[in-house]
Amino acid sequence: MSAPTTPAASAAPATPTLPPTPAGLLRLFVGVALVGIGGGLPAHTRRALTTRGWMTDAEFAEAYTLAQLTPGPNAVNLAAMIGARLLGGPGAALSVVGILTPGLIAMLTVTAITLGLPGGLPPTVQSALRGAACAALGVMLTAALPVLKVTAGIRFGPTLAVITFLLLAVLRADLLLVLAGTVIVGLILHRPRSGE
Amino acid sequence: MTAEPLDILLTFARLGLVSFGGANLPEIERVLVDQKGWITPQLLANGFALGQVMPGPNMLAMTHYGFAAGGWLGAFAATLGFYGPTALLSAAAMTAWQRLSRWRWLPSLRSALLPFGAGVLLAGVLVLARGSIHSWTGALIATASFALLWRTRVNAALIVVGAAVLGAVLGL
Repeated sequence: MSAPTTPAASAAPATPTLPPTPAGLLRLFVGVALVGIGGGLPAHTRRALTTRGWMTDAEFAEAYTLAQLTPGPNAVNLAAMIGARLLGGPGAALSVVGILTPGLIAMLTVTAITLGLPGGLPPTVQSALRGAACAALGVMLTAALPVLKVTAGIRFGPTLAVITFLLLAVLRADLLLVLAGTVIVGLILHRPRSGE
Repeated sequence: MTAEPLDILLTFARLGLVSFGGANLPEIERVLVDQKGWITPQLLANGFALGQVMPGPNMLAMTHYGFAAGGWLGAFAATLGFYGPTALLSAAAMTAWQRLSRWRWLPSLRSALLPFGAGVLLAGVLVLARGSIHSWTGALIATASFALLWRTRVNAALIVVGAAVLGAVLGL
């Protein structure tokens, strides 16, 4: 609503309506955490970033992949990377604090209460959690879509993605070995052309 | 039994650093349940499920485990240990990646990495499905959630909470 100058027909990448600020970044990730109950944080992160025009889909897919490569929880790695990319070190710190704070408060509250219960969680709560976990899977699938879409546009991308999937999920191959193999094959396939 | 905060911090830092693409659950179980004896298998499962309905990253289960191991201080040590070092590494990796932006091999590297990322994601979906779907009802809930999120603009939290209610009613 604040971009009256952008013509509807423009095919250019989303123009930033407002540049990222420290407070804006913190708010973005607190918001992502709040709607991200049950997972799917990358999907929410992507939606929040692209609607603000702070990142394009391609830039997001790149950050997402990098986040997979660093050890640790993806959603938090992704927040750190996006923060670092948009506003450097302080941006990274604020993004991580933002994405962790709502859940930390909720988890500490629930933990302090439930760990006091003899015999653990009541069966109804267990059933509810199982239902929520199934929905979380659906959320995670929607998070995968943008990355799959960008990959589909890469030469040999779908083939390499399927091979990676089979090696990791079916054959349980070592992640670092699969990474090394995929990257070497990909680099050979996409080596820079000397002419143009 | 209360564990030393420093021990908790270091143990969870190691667990964070050996997790790729989310959580390394087998390793978490091996260390926290078998080796350290800080939590029971039941608490491991409960914490994981709780993490699914918390706002934010699923692996906030680590905070739950840390609390079980060492109270409030343990919870903070576990959270800091699990998320701190890996977040630092990620920020550094992104900064390095941007420095390389004019390198002529960079587009090649990007084209090589993205299919890998897609493959890891799909594998993660399968691992999660193995852990959470144990019935046709569960599969139906997952499919319906995906369809709703994909085709409508419904808030994901609403869908997850709805599925939780459904799970409680059906006694999943």
